[in-house]
Amino acid sequence: MQDVLNAATLGSIYLLFALGMALVWGTIGILNFAHGATFMFSAFIGHLVTQRVELPMLVIVAIAVAVGAAMSALTQLLAFQPILRRAKSQHAAEMRILIGGIGIAAIPLAIAQRETRSSPFGFQSTYSAEVMEIFGLRITTTGMIIVLCGLGIGIGLTVWLRQSRRGLALRAIGVDPETTAGMGVNRPALAFGTMAVAGGLAGLAGALLTFQLGAIAPETGDQLLIKAFAIIVLGGLGSMAGTVLGAYILAGAESFVLEMNWGTWVDAVSFGLIFLILLVRPQGLLGRKEVRRT
Amino acid sequence: MTVTTEMPTAPLMEVRDVAVHFGGVKAVDGISMKLEPGAIYGVLGPNGSGKSTLLGAMTRLTPMTRGAFVFEGTDYTRKPARAVHRMGIARTFQTVRLLEDRSVRDNVLLGVDAVGRSQRKEAAAQVSDVLERLGILEIEALRPDELSYGMQRRVEFARAIISRPRLLLLDEPTAGMNSAEREEIGGLMRQLLAEGITQFIVEHDVQMMVDTCDRLYAMNFGKLIAEGTPTEVVRHPAVQEAYLGKGAGQHA
Amino acid sequence: MSTWYDMNVILIQTTLTTLLLALSIQVPLRFGVFSFAGVGAFGIGGYTAAIAMVRFEWSTWPAVALGALLAGAITLLVGLVVQRLTGLYMGMATIAFTLIVSVLAVNGGDWTGGAMGLYGALGEISIPQLAVVVLVVVGLLQLTELSSMGRRVDAVRDDPELANAVGVNVVLYRRMSFLVSGLIGGLAGAMTTLLRTTITPAEVNFHLVIVSLTAIVVGGSRSWVGALIGSIIFVWLPTWIAFVAEWEKVAYGFIVAAAAIYLPNGVLGVIKDGWHRFRTRDERARAAAVAEEA
Ligand SMILES: Nc1ncnc2c1ncn2[C@@H]1O[C@H](COP(=O)(O)OP(=O)(O)OP(=O)(O)O)[C@@H](O)[C@H]1O
Ligand SMILES: [Mg+2]
Repeated sequence: MQDVLNAATLGSIYLLFALGMALVWGTIGILNFAHGATFMFSAFIGHLVTQRVELPMLVIVAIAVAVGAAMSALTQLLAFQPILRRAKSQHAAEMRILIGGIGIAAIPLAIAQRETRSSPFGFQSTYSAEVMEIFGLRITTTGMIIVLCGLGIGIGLTVWLRQSRRGLALRAIGVDPETTAGMGVNRPALAFGTMAVAGGLAGLAGALLTFQLGAIAPETGDQLLIKAFAIIVLGGLGSMAGTVLGAYILAGAESFVLEMNWGTWVDAVSFGLIFLILLVRPQGLLGRKEVRRT
Repeated sequence: MTVTTEMPTAPLMEVRDVAVHFGGVKAVDGISMKLEPGAIYGVLGPNGSGKSTLLGAMTRLTPMTRGAFVFEGTDYTRKPARAVHRMGIARTFQTVRLLEDRSVRDNVLLGVDAVGRSQRKEAAAQVSDVLERLGILEIEALRPDELSYGMQRRVEFARAIISRPRLLLLDEPTAGMNSAEREEIGGLMRQLLAEGITQFIVEHDVQMMVDTCDRLYAMNFGKLIAEGTPTEVVRHPAVQEAYLGKGAGQHA
Repeated sequence: MSTWYDMNVILIQTTLTTLLLALSIQVPLRFGVFSFAGVGAFGIGGYTAAIAMVRFEWSTWPAVALGALLAGAITLLVGLVVQRLTGLYMGMATIAFTLIVSVLAVNGGDWTGGAMGLYGALGEISIPQLAVVVLVVVGLLQLTELSSMGRRVDAVRDDPELANAVGVNVVLYRRMSFLVSGLIGGLAGAMTTLLRTTITPAEVNFHLVIVSLTAIVVGGSRSWVGALIGSIIFVWLPTWIAFVAEWEKVAYGFIVAAAAIYLPNGVLGVIKDGWHRFRTRDERARAAAVAEEA
């Protein structure tokens, strides 16, 4: 049971990270490769600030969310939007957005690596985690917060996309950009807002993971990127519920592999999942075929 | 079916009960026709009646639900699209589809790039001729995005005839052209016919179809609603209603 | 001249091997196949050649040939498996393949030397020999860029349906692009490994994918000349500008992002466009005059 709870914590971290990526990719069709760098750099700014003053957890998280949202919105404004405007087709834009994201991601990563000499960094906070015991299972308060945030935001986003007017417009863009444009949906504005929300989620994930682990390395974001891709593909692009499911399945599978002492194979789980799902069920567990944009 | 004359020659192309369904949409729904060599055939039909889809099926680019195609006695229903071109059927597309980084000359030559070596050599020798006939020799070094839409259509046309096909399928070849240009293209079609190229044309311009075609078909909702000489088809009540709209009888 | 050569031997060597790796990614891209399996082939070729030399005491060139052939065969098989995927999905499946190669290398035990990698593959490859191999590869690729073949390849990439309609066997061309990508990638891996005498699993990573991809995007993705330009820029830039040396990775990020936004066809594309405009200035004037009349 303890293992399941640990896997749930890991899954919640994956989920927080993957949700932003899934939201942007599943709706406005942008696979943002700078998401990992946004995640890392938000936590890094938190680290810089707390080197000067010790802050409570909530303030640090707020800073990270704000930095993430700003970075992501800037990426959209300065890179992706111009690419989309210039490209002749969605297909042509796809690869340039991928490359643009890779280029953008290199900048914060290089800055953080330079400042920290590539060693892990953490926060100085008034907050200190305590170990709680619930039904005989141990979990840290940080772990608790992560699980609650992950599940809460995951379910919240799913419901919001299904029910709200703006959520509907977003989903419609994911399925048929031309028609929605004709229906008077302001695509650039919606894309800008979506990217900012996704960036905020990346910042939240960055701050919470740093609290959980005590410190993260500048390269942490890159590793999560591929895992997030595996999660989104597994769950089904365009389905938030699928992303939630995918995150916990991946975390469960990885925990299992670790538990069996096959530690060196743990990375193969996400890579193998990507391969397998794309071949066997390309629309993912909960995705619908039409939603898949190629 | 209005007229079915018994001809002694074997048909060049036979379309047998072809249907193309996209989910619930029956874009083409049971069409049969026989195309004899040495004529220009035209297809009329309102927007969305399935004309382009029929051309797509004939060239095997669009998967079909049922039916068969026979060209010069060979059933090619199961052959891949690339084989259709090599058999001697060439086409143009409704939207201009040119390689954007390539010159006009290169785009035209693409029409014979995947045929046999000897045929390619022969065609390469004639490429200037073909460009000249379509009035694009002077601009052969330009790229498509430097040309007007009408000029782009001519390049599309040239690419289809450079391989000297025996059957030429044209999807709205004169869209975006003015009336002088249309007449010019119509003249070119008659010339090509004299050179032995049978043609099958989809067009919206009724006047041009009547002037150019030897025989017309009319389509609506994926089915043939009339066939015959141009005047017969244009006067056909079902056509008047479907294609020209009610009360537009005086148009033809 | 000869002192310049002596001083820059390593850079010249790196430029040539980077070019080979970049070409292994570029070939499928030229055919409209978004495959990064060439980097996996790099790993397979490198390990195969090293194992042949270290474990079986093969001599240099047979080991290189075995590496290239095995990489080519495996990449072709991967291609057959993933060929119906499109766009980003193909890209990520092939990245997953590449990373699986590296996980396999970690877990290969004595064969691959585990996480430490293989040492002592003392190949005898001189720079002139490397240059000759690169020349042969580039010469063969040039044939696929010329006249009829070049047009067919362009059509397969830009409009596969049109390519089919003019009689090109699109599926066959795309499969062959996997084979060629694997052969070149394997060659690059084998030669790089034997020149350095060692290979580790950590080398076959996501970063290697990014290096080769960005070299192509910045240089130009349509021709080997673009791959050469990109390889030269990324290998030599730090030595040209001291400022860049210090902020190398930041500059790298800016260059890649700028290329993605402003130069869809890379530096080579700009040169080609300029040359085209210069050469056709009269025709364009005439076409404009005709359009004016009409
Ligand atoms: N790939 C497709 N998937 C689903 N439906 C399709 C597809 N292609 C065409 N259709 C539908 O099939 C019908 C016939 O379309 P088609 O393009 O053949 O008409 P058309 O006669 O050429 O019209 P137009 O004169 O506008 O060119 C239309 O209702 C169209 O929406
Ligand atoms: Mg049409």
